[in-house]
Order: sequence, then structure tokens, then C-alpha cells
Amino acid sequence: MHPKQMPTFEACSSMSSQSRNLNQNQRATEFDARETEQSLPKFSSHLDNSFHQSNQAQRVAMNWDPRAVLNSLDILGQKIHQIQDIVRSTLSDERQLSIQPNEFAAQQQLINTDLTCTIIELISTAGTLLPLIKNALASGINSSGQIGGIANSASDLDLVDILRQNDNNLLSEGTKDSEYEELIKGLSDWDDEGMKPISTEDNDVKDNEDGVSGENLPLGSYEVLQLEKEEILAPHTHFCAICGKGFKRDANLRMHMRGHGDEYKSPSALAKPSKEGSSEPVPIKRYSCPFIGCKRNKEHKNFQPLKTILCVKNHYKRSHCDKSYTCRRCNSKKFSVMADLKTHEKHCGSNKWLCSCGTTFSRKDKLFGHIALFQGHTPALSMDEVKSQGMSVQGQSDEVMAKEEDIDYLISGNVIEDTNFSGLNGTDNDLGYFSSMNFDSFTFGGIDGLQQPSFDTSESLFSFHK
Amino acid sequence: MKRAHQQHRHQPFDSILAALSVDLLIQILERVDDPRDRKAWRLVCRDFLRAEALHRRALRVLRLEALPGLLRRYAACLDLLDLSACPGLGDHALATALFAGAGSWLLKSVSLSRASGVGWRGLAALAAACPRLESVDLSHCVGVGDREAAALAAAEGLRMLRLDKCLRVTDVGLAKLAVGCPALENLSIKWCLEISDIGIELLAKKCRDLRVLDISYLKITNSSVKSISSLGKLEVLSMVGCSNIDDEGLQFLDNGSNSLRSIDVSRCDNVTASGLTSVIEGHICLQKLNVGDCFPELAPLFLSKLNGLKDSLTVLILDGFQVSASSLKIIGVNCKNLSEIGLSKCKWVTDEGISELAAGCVNLMSIDLTCCRMLTDKALMAIGEQNKKLVCLRLESCSLITDKGLEHIGTGCPNLEEIDLTDCPITDTAMKYLSRCWELMILKLGLCDKISSEGLVHIASNCQNLRELDLYRCIEVTDDGLAAIATGCSKLQKLNLCYCIQITDRGMKHLSCLEDLRDLELRGLHHVTSLGVTSIAIGCRRLTELDLKRCNLVDNVGLCALAQYTGNLRQINISYCPVSSMGLCKLLGTLKCLQDVKLVHLTHVPVEHLELALRAYGGQLKKLKLFIGLRDLLSPWLIQMLHARRCRIRWVDKPLVFSP
Repeated sequence: MHPKQMPTFEACSSMSSQSRNLNQNQRATEFDARETEQSLPKFSSHLDNSFHQSNQAQRVAMNWDPRAVLNSLDILGQKIHQIQDIVRSTLSDERQLSIQPNEFAAQQQLINTDLTCTIIELISTAGTLLPLIKNALASGINSSGQIGGIANSASDLDLVDILRQNDNNLLSEGTKDSEYEELIKGLSDWDDEGMKPISTEDNDVKDNEDGVSGENLPLGSYEVLQLEKEEILAPHTHFCAICGKGFKRDANLRMHMRGHGDEYKSPSALAKPSKEGSSEPVPIKRYSCPFIGCKRNKEHKNFQPLKTILCVKNHYKRSHCDKSYTCRRCNSKKFSVMADLKTHEKHCGSNKWLCSCGTTFSRKDKLFGHIALFQGHTPALSMDEVKSQGMSVQGQSDEVMAKEEDIDYLISGNVIEDTNFSGLNGTDNDLGYFSSMNFDSFTFGGIDGLQQPSFDTSESLFSFHK
Repeated sequence: MKRAHQQHRHQPFDSILAALSVDLLIQILERVDDPRDRKAWRLVCRDFLRAEALHRRALRVLRLEALPGLLRRYAACLDLLDLSACPGLGDHALATALFAGAGSWLLKSVSLSRASGVGWRGLAALAAACPRLESVDLSHCVGVGDREAAALAAAEGLRMLRLDKCLRVTDVGLAKLAVGCPALENLSIKWCLEISDIGIELLAKKCRDLRVLDISYLKITNSSVKSISSLGKLEVLSMVGCSNIDDEGLQFLDNGSNSLRSIDVSRCDNVTASGLTSVIEGHICLQKLNVGDCFPELAPLFLSKLNGLKDSLTVLILDGFQVSASSLKIIGVNCKNLSEIGLSKCKWVTDEGISELAAGCVNLMSIDLTCCRMLTDKALMAIGEQNKKLVCLRLESCSLITDKGLEHIGTGCPNLEEIDLTDCPITDTAMKYLSRCWELMILKLGLCDKISSEGLVHIASNCQNLRELDLYRCIEVTDDGLAAIATGCSKLQKLNLCYCIQITDRGMKHLSCLEDLRDLELRGLHHVTSLGVTSIAIGCRRLTELDLKRCNLVDNVGLCALAQYTGNLRQINISYCPVSSMGLCKLLGTLKCLQDVKLVHLTHVPVEHLELALRAYGGQLKKLKLFIGLRDLLSPWLIQMLHARRCRIRWVDKPLVFSP
């Protein structure tokens, strides 16, 4: 699924950059034209409505470039055609009954993600409209029939989640919130019938650090939100309503807004939006990973929710994404989260603890724990020697030679004496082994593996003498 | 032996073997104990020499150059090889020596203590050549590190290992040994400062048979004690000066899962009475308890717990405590089997307390009362009356005791072997009383300035076993006293005559008949000349340590005599002596065993000659003491070379003063 998604993501970002010249009217008509072909007709009509409502407000402030918008919308159109093709092929496959249920589910998932992705693109393209869309959506949610109507596919739910997620604090009234939550629950129940989770290996290693596994919230005591993959991976989540610039944090956006006029400089505008009207207790929010089959996905039978958006981001990148950051020091460790790489680089190479079996450890106690567990394993001697082992044989023997010379120098006082009585023993040949001339013929290796043979040689010499 | 017998069957009839077989010779030899007699035996004839070679199990090599010849003769039967007196021994020499007996080594025990030249190659050769190796002593080989430990780990059967002060051994080296030698029973890693909790934990997991463990002065914490407490067979645990271990750590030991017999927690600053109480509770069979210098006061709880050990406890060391009479009474009542008590530098030790203790513990053999300054003759009377088995008594700086007190000791303790009377106001009369203890081996009379030759005559008349005599600053002692000692105490090995200013060459002449003398200190003897030193050198061939500091009349002649005759000399101090370049060069050029040389303020030796002499030295110098002014005058190359040969130079910053 991945390679297919990446271009979408790029397109999305490129469009958001163009969005400063968005022509709203044109955009709306374009969307209407495609209404019949879409799997989400009603939702787009919502968008449409909201666009109309906000027209007056926006047109004054902005300078639209119709051509740029047309371009982006063309790309969007192509995407939607692609999705249509996929859906059609699924239908034909269904008729032939040749398709495996698993495969079908996977395809459905593919369509869902593609669709939601397209919609997110739309939203980010029309970044200026976001607050207005929200309002329109919130008012629409009040009539439950309408929502039930749009809940045709799982992706709709996801979309609702995302929208809510995006500017959750904009939903001011608590009553609306809870109603909305009920709806979501209903929808997720409905979803469960339609889809079986694909069982995938749960390689969520760092979940504990994501800060969830400790708590045992009873199911239903919190609301579950699920971000879409693209949004998780998007660099920015907050966009300026005027210029469209993206930000990672809402606070940064608010700071940015000051530049757009004095009305944004008031304390109320700069304050955290959630503060207002938060007299009612805010329901506990937990997050679900969009990856079906993951333990962090809400459809998993042992679902363990994630605590914050940051947790979601880190979890998703660690567990379901390529590890694209490689440590420059060891060139072997890879990470998908930049922070993890930085943590690793702090320690990488500083302390390498090596066992005779070849396993390396970053910490001494870990190595010793390993040695305690396995019979016959011993720690290797020191890092320098390990390095020399890694180098070429030539380099290693050079190092050994240097050491021998050192030793020879130290014991030179004894050499004369030894040779003196060696004649008495009649063991001149054996002595040769220990004389300085012959040292280089033996490789005194750094770690055990290499050291052992050299010991063996000496042993054989002794046994020869027997 | 049979083979040996057959070999010599064809010898001429006048051979002794015609009458006595080798077996019989060996049986006779077994009854010859004295090493001097053994030496005489060896010199009788070739056959006697062979018989001795077949009989010998232990060998201590004093000079490196003799090693190959000795091993050629003795290799076959040796169990124990002591190379600790050969500091110049290197890998080279050790491996060569091992070749001499290759294939036939039955060696079980090797001592390489202070043989700092031995590296991992030598040890690897040792481990490979001696498959039966059980015991290795590498203590004070400061250069030994992980590589050496790894090489030694090849000796699988190793049961006993001493690594005291092997400063470069880390957890990795310890792990190598723990994995390689799982049968280790006795291990000392005292002063191996690099070893941490992690290494100890692994050791405790791998070497389950450990019975004796010395972890003194390590920077380990309570978690190490926890690991150690899992060793089921542990009997002796020494952890002197482990200041990171506190009561919490000692509580791990109270589970009683090991058969601890002896524990030494002296100088563990953070251990208190409550921690010790838990140790005592856990081990009712504890025999030896050393808690010296831990905490100042003996808690009543601790004392009452001693009651639980009443049958087993034999050794109790309480150095540095505040011990009142009542405490000693409780100890006397509770610990009936006590054979050794240490009360060194204890406060509040009174006659009353000692009387109670002596009355309670009648089996006491060793009493240390060093610096218990309140004691008088009454305490000695109590000891003399009650402790008939007393062997060792230390009374240094007990400044209130008199001759009368020692009369009780002399009459009451016939088995006395060691007594320390340093700085006690005693006279020759006391010597008269002490001479009744005919088994006396160690007598320390330093700073007893009333002791004269008359006292020494008393001692010499009866104490033939005397091995060690300390007469530091006994200014009344004259040559006559030494004459008496030299004739009466012929086994004397260690003699301190520093600042006994009346002694002259005549005294030296008398001393020269002490063949066993090893350690002689003649500091500040202004009447002793080179002549006296020469007679010592000729007579005392076994001399290994000699101190001639401030002997203002000892010059080149004395040094030349030393160079010629005392080949085993290991330590020498000729600071302030008027020796010249020739004598120094002769000394350093001839003596190969020298390890520790003190050459401060040799005013007659120019720097160039000193440098030459030091360069000429062919042995393995380990310690060198020089005046600090020479640091910049000697060539850096020489200093560098000495350092490379693992010689430590101590620079003395003392001005030259000519008064003693």
C-alpha cells in the first residue's frame, strides 16, 4: 500500500502550498460536477454548503488565482478516477466470486484510505475554509439522519474523526460533543460487521513509551479517535486561515496569526481556544492507530488505545513505516522517528560490549546478563581489540607487531640470560617460538575467537615436547 | 623411584646406594626438617642430591638465573612452585622455564606474587603446560589486567586464585575467570578497584563452589552482597573498607542460606550495630567476627546477640571501639570459647574489664591491647593467672605497665610466642621474667630505652626460637647484648637495631654468625663502619633486606662486600651514606635481585655516575627513592626507561641535614 500512498502525500503538500490563491467558487463547481461519480456524494455536498456560507467572509480577504486551483483540482480529479477504477474492478471481482475474503478486505481498505486521502487533500487545499467547514459539519451532525446517511463506508467515519480531530476544540458545546460521540460508537459498531481486522504482526515495540499500557480505562469510558495515515505523516496539522501556512503546533499558528492584523493580537485570540467554555468536564480522549490488525487499532480485540496524538505519530512511524533514518556512526541501526535516532546517536559507539558469541550490547550489565544466561560465553576483552578485529588482517598484525616490540623492549634485559641457559637445556628450537624474531608469525588476536588459535598453537608446541 | 634405583644399579660398589636404596634415603630425608640440614644433605653426594630431588614437593626460587637449573632437577615431582622472589621474571623466562619440565609437570600451585613482569603470554603458557594447576597467586602484580585474567581462565581446574591489587582487572577479566574456572573455591580480589557489582553478580552466578571470598576495598554496593548471599558454600567473607555497603546490605546475609564461618567488615564506615546483629542472627555458627573501626560504640543489642554465638565464636576483633568494663564482662560471659580478641586502640578498656574478660574466656590465645593506655599491672596479672594458653600478647604503648606485670605473664603463660612491648616503661628485670617463655619467637622492644644488654642476655639464655627482635632506639644496648643474642638465638631472622647508637663493628662481627638473618636494620649507627657491614655480608648470606641509612661511616668497601656476598639482597637503603660512584656501580651492577633501592642524598655520587649506575642495573627494579632535585638532572630517557620497566620512583623532598 505504501508506494501507492506516497505520491498522494506529496501532491497534498504541494497543493497546500498553492492554496493561498484558492478560488472558492471554481472549486465548489468542480466538486459538484463530480458529485454523481463519487462514493461520497453527500459529504461533498456538505462541503459545498459550507463553502457557500463562507463565501462572503473569505472573498474580501483573499486574492484567488483560478489557474493554480484548477491545476490542483485536475490532479484531484485524476485521483478520484483512479479510485473509481479500483471500485469497479472490485465489483467485477465480486461477481466472479474468485476473490478471497482477505483480499477483498484489503482492497476495501485501500479504497478507504485513498478516498480519505483525497478528501484530506481537498481540505488542506482549501485550508482557508477549515473553520467554516467545521461549523457547517457540526450543525449538520445535529440531524442524526443525515449522518447515518453519509456513513456508507468505513472511511466516512474516519473522515469524521479526522475533522473532529483537526480542530476539536472548536466544538464548543458539550452536548453536541457527547451526541457526536454516541454516533461514532454506533458507527464503529456498524463497521465491525463489515470488516474483519487483518491479523498482522504486532511489532509495536515502543508502546510503553507511548504511555498507554499502564492505564486500564474501561472500554467506553473514553472516546476513541482515529487519525488517518496521511495526517499522521503530514508535517503540519495547523494551517493559517489567511495565508495557508502550515504549523506543527496550534500555539505556533496563533503566534503566526498576529502578523495578519490587530484583531489576532487580542489576549482572547492568543489564548488557548479550548479554555473558553470548558466548564464541563472534557471527555477523556484516546487514539486509535489506523493500521488494521494492529493492537493499537480500535478493532483489535485487545485494543490498547494511545494517549496523545504524539503517541499516535510515534507509534505509527515506529511500527508501520519504513525506517528511513540511518545512524551515521554505525551505519546499521535504522529508525523511523528522528528523535529515536538522536537518542541512539548519543550512545552509539561510545560503549560497545561484545560477547564471545559475537553479540554486541550497548550496556555492560546487559552483556553480563547474557553471559550469566549462556554456558561458556565470555565477554570479549576491549573495544580497541574488537575494532582491530574488524579491520583488515594487515592492520591487525601491524598492531600486534607494535605490541610485541614493546614487550621485547621491556624484557630485553632477560633475553640474554634466557638464551644463555637455553643452550644448557638443549631446547633452542622451542625457544625460537618465544624469541622476538618469530612473534609476528602468530596472530595474537584481539577477541577470543582469534586469541584461541594462538593459544592452541602454544599448546601444541607443549604437547609436541611431551 | 624404582626406575631411579635401576638406573643406579650399575654404579660402583662404593656408592651409598649399594647399602641404602633411594626409598630408604627418602625415608631418612623425611626426618630431616631443618632447611640448613637439608642443604647439608644435598651436598653429601650426587645420590643424596637425587634423593632430595625426588622427595621435594615445594620449591621457592630466590634467583632468576638459577631457575632453569632448578627446574631441570626438580620438575618431575614439584607440587608447589614459588616464584614470588623473582621480580625480573618475564613471559619469556617463565615460558622457557616451563619448557624445561614440559610434559611432566604435576604442578598444583604456583605463586607469582609480585612477579610484575609476567604477562598474559606467560600465564597462557602456564595454564597450557600445567593441566593440574589448582592454585595461582598473582597478588600485587599491578600490571595484571583482563588479558592476563583471560589467559589464566584457560586453567579449568583452578580452585584458588589471588588477585590482590591487580589494579587493571575489570569486570570483564573477572567474568572470564568466572566462566573459565567454575570450580573456584577461594578467590581474593582485594584492591581490584575496577571490579563492580556487575562482575560480582556474575561471579556469584558462575562459581557456585566459592568458599572463601575477599572483596576488600572494592567500590561495590549492597547489591553485590545480595549476589554473594546466594553462594551456598561460602564460609569466609572479607569485605574490609567497603564503605558503600551498609546495614541494608548486611541484611541480605541474614537469610542463613550460606554456611558463613567468618566475616570481616572492618573499616566499613556505614555498617552499624543493627546490620551486624542481622548477620549474627542469620549465622549461629559464626566463628570469626571482625568489626574493627566500623562504628564507635558497642550497642547492648549487639552484645546480647553474641550470646547466640557462644559456642562457636572464637575470634572477635573490636579495634577502635569504646569498650567499657561491663561490655567486656558480657563478652566474657557469652563467648566462652573465644581464642582471639582484638581491642587495639579501644577506649575505656580498664583493668577491671580485662579481668572480667580473662576470667570468662580462659581459652584466649591472642590478646591485642595496643594503645589501651589505662591498663596497669593488674590487667596483666589477671591475664597471667587465667589465660594459661596465651600465645600472643600485644601491649604497645601501654605506658602504665611495669616489670611486675610481666612477671605474671612470664610465669603464667609458658606458651607465649609473641609479645609486643613497644614504648612500655620496662627494664631488664622484665626480660628476666619473659625469658621463662622459652617458645618466644617475636619480641618487640622498640623505644624501651631502659633495656640494656643485660636484658638481652636473659632473653638469649633461654629463648632459642626467637625469630624476630625489635630493638629500635634501645639506646642502652651494646655489642655485648648482640653477642649474647647472636649465640643464644641462632634462628633469628629479623633484627632491628636502628639508632642503638652504642653498637660498633664488634657487634656486627657477632651478628655475622646469624646465618638465617634476612632483614637487618642498622639505621643511624654512627660507630658501624664498612668493616662491620663486610662481616655481616660475609656471614649473613641470606640477607634480603638491609637498611644502612645515615650510617655515616659505611662507604664503598661495605657496598663492595655486599655486592660480592649477599646475592639475595632485595631491598637496600643507603641514603645519606658517604658512598661514592664506584661502590654504587658495583652494588647495582652485581646484585641482580634488588627490587627496592633508596638512594637519597648520596652526596659523593655525581649525577652522571648515578645515571650510569642506574642504567647499568640489569635486574628488575620496582621501587626507587631519589632526591627530588635529581628529577630534572637525570636524563628523561632514563626515567622513561625505568617507568617502562614498571619501576616506581619516589621523589623525596627533604633537605640534607646531617644530624640523625
